[in-house]
Amino acid sequence: MTEESGTALSRRRLLTMIGVSAGATAMYQAMHSLGFAAESKFQGPIRLSSAPKGASVLVLGAGIAGLVAAYELRNAGYKVQVLEYNARAGGRNWTLRGGDRYTELGGETQECRFDPDLYINPGPWRLPYHHRGMLSYCKRLGVALEPFVQINHNAYLHSRKAFGGKPQRLRAVQADYDGHVAELLAKATRNHALDADVTAEDQAILLSSLRSSGALDSNYRFVKGPDSSERRGFERDPGGGLSARPVFSEPIALSDLLRSGLWAALSVGELYDMQTTMFQPVGGMGQVGQAFARELAPLIRYNAKVVDIRQDQRGVSATFEDLRAGSSRQTVSADWCVCTIPLSILGQIPMNVGAPMARAIAAVPYCTGLKVGLQFKRRFWEEDEQIYGGITYTDLPIGQISYPSSRFFSDGKGVLLGAYIWDMRNSMDFTSMTPAERVSKAVEYGSQIHPQYSKEFDNGIAVAWHRVPSAMGCFGLWSDAARAEHYDNLCGFDGRIVLAGEHASFMPAWQEGAVTSALDAIDRLHQRAHAAGAAA
Amino acid sequence: MNKKRLAPTAAAVLCSGMALAWIALTGLLLEGPARADTAGIFDSEPFSITDGRQIYEHICRGCHMENAGGAVGAGRFPALTKNPALGSRQYMALTILMGRRNMPAFGTKYAVGFGGPPVILNEAQIAAVINYVRTNFGNRYTDPITAAEVGTLDRSTH
Repeated sequence: MTEESGTALSRRRLLTMIGVSAGATAMYQAMHSLGFAAESKFQGPIRLSSAPKGASVLVLGAGIAGLVAAYELRNAGYKVQVLEYNARAGGRNWTLRGGDRYTELGGETQECRFDPDLYINPGPWRLPYHHRGMLSYCKRLGVALEPFVQINHNAYLHSRKAFGGKPQRLRAVQADYDGHVAELLAKATRNHALDADVTAEDQAILLSSLRSSGALDSNYRFVKGPDSSERRGFERDPGGGLSARPVFSEPIALSDLLRSGLWAALSVGELYDMQTTMFQPVGGMGQVGQAFARELAPLIRYNAKVVDIRQDQRGVSATFEDLRAGSSRQTVSADWCVCTIPLSILGQIPMNVGAPMARAIAAVPYCTGLKVGLQFKRRFWEEDEQIYGGITYTDLPIGQISYPSSRFFSDGKGVLLGAYIWDMRNSMDFTSMTPAERVSKAVEYGSQIHPQYSKEFDNGIAVAWHRVPSAMGCFGLWSDAARAEHYDNLCGFDGRIVLAGEHASFMPAWQEGAVTSALDAIDRLHQRAHAAGAAA
Repeated sequence: MNKKRLAPTAAAVLCSGMALAWIALTGLLLEGPARADTAGIFDSEPFSITDGRQIYEHICRGCHMENAGGAVGAGRFPALTKNPALGSRQYMALTILMGRRNMPAFGTKYAVGFGGPPVILNEAQIAAVINYVRTNFGNRYTDPITAAEVGTLDRSTH
């Protein structure tokens, strides 16, 4: 049984019991009322007691969920075997760097021609400060972390339909939106429009707060001047000596700002998942998978394509094709199975589970996300535009451009995330292109924001997740209806098989969903293994 | 954009990590009463192409490939050539309307969006792409499906 000590573990145990007896939805509700739900339910390193003597577990898939499960179960004394389709560990935790070759479905091979130390993460790329499971494993495995710049006030917001297509600094859009709204609210207050809602005493405080939050002048106006320029930036910055005098900048008119639609991007960085501080592994997200792989090296069988999963009263066996040995078939067995194969693939593998789990596996389509990495001959975004990390958001099909959060001010080449597309219209379109066309389109669109593209572009690489042979989709796209009907059946044990992965979590696409689902699954597996041992 | 269609989009986004931001934002934009004037920065255009071949090239080709030969990796994307399932135009229509495993649904009733509205194909678009696939890539079916038949099938699902 799991050792319990302290309130946190007791709570976790309680939640687990609710989960076992009443299902994941009830557990989630309980987590909500206990204040857990919004953040990762990771409660510190799992502490499994010793495994029953001789107990064994088959882990299918060496992505984050499979690696976490294998790592903890091995540490508890289980005999663990891991089967992985790819020739590397990590799954969607993956970094592409110079010299890497990647062949997508359809057969096109791309060679990454980035300079040394430059990379893109085709999959996950940032870790919120509250994803404590991922952060904990990084620390335990010695994966160095550095800040990931999500919010950059000097990056752009861009719409083809606004300001003649000229990108606007986030700083200015933010300041002007806050300023205009504060001015309107101050006006309404002073015109007694809020008398029914706000007491006279509170109105005085409200007015002070609006001056502060909106950078209003002493007359409660948001106008060109020192107050607004301290937020939105100056036409000419203050300096020293004879050229010291600042020139104030002109705010965007309220109507232009509203009609631009750019305000829609302002709250991205305010979201719980995107708030400061975010982190990234030094050298790419793939460092996490690689660190697990070093720990678990003898346990992982690579190039193993699972083609059949069988269970009976005594255990589970998986048949796989050895992709390096002419697809010859082998079968391995264990007492239990933690299956982390994405549902996009698992749904096609024969597996004798009951109808509820089988229907759940088939109920989840996959997001069609896609990324393009672009190398340029110099870091023009830093040199010309003083953009150090962060993200420009655009209504162009590329969706966004993200600037590297490391190696600031370095000479030589630099790599941008030149497209990160997950709206379905554009991502399906881009997936349908050849890799070279995707790169070319990303350059063409991006040059509307950064004219330097055409002169400075060097090379690029594109990863469309539906064409990634080991994933065949980006992440599980649960609808509320599907989740209500199938989620519990997906996560519950079927005989000796339990599923884990981001698809078995309420945190789609986030690695933390994979971590917490794996911990939840092995906790229940551990209880069952002991119960079975006791009964035997 | 009608609200009925948006509901699943917003829902999908509610707990989606990667793009939570987007959706919250786009939800506002899409449902705003003055959308035509204020079309916001994350609003992707509805899919308006009507030609069967072009629908295939912009949507289906991503997985079923240039030659409709499908692909094999850890799993597979089925070929749309020499595939007996194509014998049933109704099966194809229902698959497109309702989706199948990692293939998203394209019918109004089932499509789930992410980071924007889902890609919705209307009855005529679905008929067009089915008829294109069933008469190309070596397929020689002579019983085309009509938009009306797709509509009837759509109404039969729930």
